[in-house]
Amino acid sequence: MTRYIIRRILWGILLLILVTALMFVLFRILPTGEPARLRAGRNASPRVIAALRRDLGLNKSLPAQFWIYMKEVIFHFNLGYSYYSSAPVRGLIAERLGATLSLMLGAAIIWLSIGLPVGIISALRRRSWLDRASMGTALLFVSAPEYWLGLIALYLFAADIGKVKIFPGAGSYVGLTSDPWKWFTSLLLPWLVLAAGSAAIYARLMRSNLTEVMQEDYIRTARAKGLSERRVVLRHGVRAAINPILTILALDIATLLGGAILVEVVFNIPGIGQLAYTAITHSDFPIVQGTVLLGALFIVVANIVVDIAYAYLDPQVRYS
Amino acid sequence: MSTASEPSLRVEDLRVEFSTEDGIVKAVDGITYEVGRGRTLGVVGESGSGKTVAVMTILGLTRAQGANITGRILFQGRDLLSLDEGELRKVRGNEIAMIFQDPSSALHPLYRVGAQIVEAVRAHRDVSKAQARKRTIELLGLVGISDPGRRVDDYPHEFSGGMRQRAMIAMALANEPKLLIADEPTTALDVTVQAQILALLERLQGELGMGMVIVTHDMGVVAEMADEIAVMYAGRIVESAATEELFAGPEHPYTWGLLRSIPTLDGPRVEQLAPIPGSPPSLIDPPSGCHFHPRCAYAQPDHARIDPGLEPVQGEPSHRVACLLAAGERRRIWEGLR
Amino acid sequence: MTRSIRKLTLLALLAWMLALGLTACGSSNSSVSGGSGIIVAKGIQTPRTEAQSGGKRGGTLTVLNHTDFEHIDPGQAYYNIDYEVIYATQRPLFSYKPNTFSSPSPDMASEPAQVSSDGKTITVHIRKGVHFSPPVNREVTSADVAYAIERGANPNVPTPYFMSYFSSLQGASKATGGPFPGITTPNRETIVFHLTEPKAPIVLAALVLPLSAPVPEEFAKPYDAKKPTEYGNYQVATGPYMFKSDSAGKVLGIGYQPGKSATLVRNSNWNPATDARPAYLNQIDINIGGDPTVIGRQVLEGSDMVQNEAPAQPIVKLAYEKFRSQMEISPGAGDHYIAVDNKQGPFSNISVRKAFWAALDRIAMNKARGGELVTNVMTHFIYPEIPGFEQAGGLQGPRVDYNDYPEGNAAVAAKYMKLAGYPSGSYTGGKTLQIVGSTGSPSAEDAEIVNQTLKNLGFQTKFTLVDSSVMYSKYCGTPAEAIDVCPSVAWGADFGDPQAVLDIPFNGKNIIPSGNNNWGLVNDPEINQAMDAAELVVGTSARASAWAQIDRKLVAQAAAIPFDWDKQPSIESKDVAGVGDLWNTGSWDYSYTSLK
Repeated sequence: MTRYIIRRILWGILLLILVTALMFVLFRILPTGEPARLRAGRNASPRVIAALRRDLGLNKSLPAQFWIYMKEVIFHFNLGYSYYSSAPVRGLIAERLGATLSLMLGAAIIWLSIGLPVGIISALRRRSWLDRASMGTALLFVSAPEYWLGLIALYLFAADIGKVKIFPGAGSYVGLTSDPWKWFTSLLLPWLVLAAGSAAIYARLMRSNLTEVMQEDYIRTARAKGLSERRVVLRHGVRAAINPILTILALDIATLLGGAILVEVVFNIPGIGQLAYTAITHSDFPIVQGTVLLGALFIVVANIVVDIAYAYLDPQVRYS
Repeated sequence: MSTASEPSLRVEDLRVEFSTEDGIVKAVDGITYEVGRGRTLGVVGESGSGKTVAVMTILGLTRAQGANITGRILFQGRDLLSLDEGELRKVRGNEIAMIFQDPSSALHPLYRVGAQIVEAVRAHRDVSKAQARKRTIELLGLVGISDPGRRVDDYPHEFSGGMRQRAMIAMALANEPKLLIADEPTTALDVTVQAQILALLERLQGELGMGMVIVTHDMGVVAEMADEIAVMYAGRIVESAATEELFAGPEHPYTWGLLRSIPTLDGPRVEQLAPIPGSPPSLIDPPSGCHFHPRCAYAQPDHARIDPGLEPVQGEPSHRVACLLAAGERRRIWEGLR
Repeated sequence: MTRSIRKLTLLALLAWMLALGLTACGSSNSSVSGGSGIIVAKGIQTPRTEAQSGGKRGGTLTVLNHTDFEHIDPGQAYYNIDYEVIYATQRPLFSYKPNTFSSPSPDMASEPAQVSSDGKTITVHIRKGVHFSPPVNREVTSADVAYAIERGANPNVPTPYFMSYFSSLQGASKATGGPFPGITTPNRETIVFHLTEPKAPIVLAALVLPLSAPVPEEFAKPYDAKKPTEYGNYQVATGPYMFKSDSAGKVLGIGYQPGKSATLVRNSNWNPATDARPAYLNQIDINIGGDPTVIGRQVLEGSDMVQNEAPAQPIVKLAYEKFRSQMEISPGAGDHYIAVDNKQGPFSNISVRKAFWAALDRIAMNKARGGELVTNVMTHFIYPEIPGFEQAGGLQGPRVDYNDYPEGNAAVAAKYMKLAGYPSGSYTGGKTLQIVGSTGSPSAEDAEIVNQTLKNLGFQTKFTLVDSSVMYSKYCGTPAEAIDVCPSVAWGADFGDPQAVLDIPFNGKNIIPSGNNNWGLVNDPEINQAMDAAELVVGTSARASAWAQIDRKLVAQAAAIPFDWDKQPSIESKDVAGVGDLWNTGSWDYSYTSLK
């Protein structure tokens, strides 16, 4: 087992290096604004641009630049410097992690507490009006673009511009430590918007998984043992149905930790997603590189965690 | 209060129908049988004969599928069909237990074997986990699993096929049921393991004094295990008799077909197996008259009109058959076939 | 499909259509975007740019901006959005009051500058009693102004426009951040600029830029030694407001969180007796980010808020229809025109250029940008509010036939094509035109109109749209690429002098191999000579006349094809008495704005 974990970790590191290298190459090759020129601004003299190129290390060969970058990342956790924001990338990312984390955790709790029960009930009462209504609603939310949903939510429910003034409007996010109540209320609408699509997906997933599982022989055995129907459904049915859902959950969380760009922008939440979005629009490569690397890291870690967890979730996997 | 002669289980005119998009499926079309205390009833038939539905209905396991059930199932003075779900649950796994065909899929793959048996115990007995675990280890030993103290924490995929079935039997017997229903208990197992399991069941039945219903399509199994046999076709019992009587003198053409389609060790090699021609009939729209007549080599024209009921065989009061042929005619044909 | 599934699908489809409709109305990611919102102005607002006297003191103004600042270091700041905070916190030698873009007032200077008769020496007297904000606290001296300009040559800073406007200072071309002979400080209150050529007018004009705002050397030098400089994150202020900072003077993370927010508080060392600015507000909270349509609505429907950048197109429409008193539209916000290759290819022929000018439907081009509310048809090259605008023809422009038809005139176009040597009135040469425009609304729409217009003139075109920064840096800004047509290049003057509008884009000597802003490679010897001479002319009205003549020459040469003089809308909440800066696209000026 340990050998297996170590192998997965090594693969993960290799993958991260590859991702960074790919980004490096892309940013240098694609016809984007040259970093030195962007930094120098309008009307800069060629002398200034040349000096900047030297300072940014752009006159070194591509592999040399890559090597320097990787060394800084691995040994010093130094993700570079954003000339655009005049701040180190690491600091910018670190101060935004909290918001993204808040957004992701709350949304995950909501979509799990709504999606899974809805899926279970739908599976048990297939073809009932309840099932059709919830699956139809789920289809709507899965199809609805997040950004649109966010805008609609604001135009309907925001305290400043909405028709029914319930929730705080966009831009009202504050950190948990500065004002817990305001932190909570400002996140309610973003949580719901972010959770809507996922709750729908998880509901449909649970429904189909559970429907399949309930046809299995071991469910029949459980009933024949005289167990209560609730125990049969939850401990025998859902327990088996939930394995694939947990792996998807891990990946979803990892992806969101890289920043829920659309929701963060529309609600103006200062998370990693908004940081990445602004960096992209300004061609601020060090930040883009940093956020992509971070996102890749989360996903790699999540994959490894899932692989390890699956060995505990499904004993049949353990010895293969 | 039950006496020695009172049967464990008595099924009276049981009918089970399912509504489907294509029509009403008469899975069980009026069957009546009993199982004596400490006796084994074998129910044989092809797939689609209704044998599985018949026994699943005893435990109410067909209710969920929207079945329309009539008749009576008497067990310990109560009609199981009249019980609500809660009361029936107290019977399942407790006084009546069931084991199924494929032990590898019948056990939950994600829980340890011991835990599943403990669950069966604690569903009906108010005991601590430790006590239930002790009982579980005891049961595993009882069914012949070696080193049960270690094996109790294994997962099902760590057991062999035979061991899994033993574990299932242990689980079924956890609460000392009065009646055990076994639906094709050995079909999924190797031949050698089959014999072991059957021997185990026989032994346990003797030790615990419980009634048993074995559902199978394998005449060899019932020959070995059953005291009485009921042959089912198209949702009905077409012949029922004590085992010796049936094998000595089967009366129904379908039974003849079943017996003749089994390979025997002592037959000549060149002899070809004789399958019963045709396929099982539709249970939505069964053939008119005698349901077997389209596949019967000896059917007469008016067998398509008249529907036979179960009639006792002359000289053998416990032997009944539903056939329109004359008794002497049947004897003569059977003599010729042997 | 069963009935219920069909019903649900229909429901989903309906919801989708609703979504699309709402999306078309409600979303936009660029600032003034075009598309469906055609606005026909009925009565254009005159911007309220007079300094309001008697404004209510106190209160906090909340600013919602979708865009972040580019730089907040006065030595680096170069964009309109930066100027909003720079000019509230820093005092350059001279600056514009809100209602003018042509006559600067002494700010850090105590009186107008003195220029020597040979035009090679500029003497400026520094105001007394102006102090830096904490933690520096001491009085400002001329040495601080000198250091501020000297650091512009420091490669760790560096100021993008240093060489454009200050290269004529002695020793400037060799300077690297330390003192150089071009700037001397005979005493604490005097600073003298020594030029190699009599280019005093342009140097003087450039002193309104943030570079001349004083910077304390002893405090800034350690930060300027970093690559790049970190002074911006620790800056001190001389204006009525300062970035909120800690006791060490650190601004980053406190008064400015990049991409998130900025906070301006009163500069406790600011002496109102030395400054004409009223500074009514106590604090300005700037929130950065968010969807432009959402923040626009928040401002319009909320209180004590402004948006201090161009609002999204749907917001402009909404404000015009429902919140008219809360919107102001400022002229002189810049221009957009089409650069055509004067040096090689079909457009090296003057008649082809004139034909294109005549053929272009400038009304359509401007409709894509939002219509009459936010544009004026551009008819020459000096734009409104810049001295020389009227002399160069005003709104109507020079009366030549190719300029007389804003909606385009095929007959006039055909006439010039014939003059160019294409008797059919259509291009019959073999060259395919390279057209490179930029993506995004409304530039992409304008590029399409240009493409179509040229096709109608008989040209084959190779039409590409790329990201705006790529268009400028890789294609249109690189002469070697020889792009024939750049459909919407934009220019805004750095200060209110016509040279700032015409020199860099149209003077042949300003063509550089990369980062070139003379996109059309315009290199007419007569015009070049006239520009070099006009550079030396002294006095606002004299310069206006001289450069207006050059503007007329450019029109006569059809050096580029104009189409849009920008007007920029600004929105405020109902209880804000906003005052907009004419010289900064009408942006709200924090030093003059008050709450009602």
